[in-house]
Amino acid sequence: MRAAYLANYFVAGCAASSLLGWIASTHSMAQKAIAFLAAATFIVWGLCWLLDFSVSGWLKISVPNLQAFLLAGLAMALIGAGVFLCS
Amino acid sequence: MQLKMFVLSGAALTLWLAPLTVLDKKVGWHKSMQGLSLCAAAVCAVQAGNIACELAQDGEIEEIKTRAITADVIDEISVSTYVSQQQRQQEAEQILNPREHLERALALTYGDDDELEQERSKQLAKPDAERSQNDDAERKELIHQLRARGYGKAKIILEIWGSSKGGSEKYQVAEAEFRRLVGDF
Repeated sequence: MRAAYLANYFVAGCAASSLLGWIASTHSMAQKAIAFLAAATFIVWGLCWLLDFSVSGWLKISVPNLQAFLLAGLAMALIGAGVFLCS
Repeated sequence: MQLKMFVLSGAALTLWLAPLTVLDKKVGWHKSMQGLSLCAAAVCAVQAGNIACELAQDGEIEEIKTRAITADVIDEISVSTYVSQQQRQQEAEQILNPREHLERALALTYGDDDELEQERSKQLAKPDAERSQNDDAERKELIHQLRARGYGKAKIILEIWGSSKGGSEKYQVAEAEFRRLVGDF
């Protein structure tokens, strides 16, 4: 059941990522806003990946859990965007 | 609950993938439908995730309950085993102690208190009588041996009862005992 709830949240993240792509495709300003948001998110993601020990202490989770969370977020964003762009 | 979760999961996947592949982005209302279905997919997936999370927590609680019940059962069995072992030990000790065993047997055999007391005193007096009979037999044997060595009455009394010839009460008692034993020969 734990795997089911993780899988459902993963699908929710993918759908949210596709939704962001859809929002970006509606207007040029929205596209710029989403691009800025994606860039900021990626920078934050990279910083979290590099400063994993500090961030894990700040969030009070273990380093492997943080790394798994970051990788799952990246995979959700890539899969969601990929599905939207390839459709 | 599980069925609801599976339905929501399937709906989330369908609402995420189907409109993006089937509908055309260039058509206005198709694009709107895609946006709506993506929103619905995200909501369905989050709902399914919440339900799955609740079910997982319930499963963990049930597992903890099962473990606690198992531990209780094991504890109860070990306690009963310990108690029965103690009872067996007590019974063995009682069997090894003949006086207590006798009293217990008498208490079980006789219900009336007066009879019980009488019978108990009789039964308890039996070992004393047996003991005195044994003493008498030993003394007789000693008297026999001393006589064979040529000892006289006074010397035998001195040897066995430890009282020298005279008018003392102790000597008289010993002499009476000697006569009784010698008369038994």
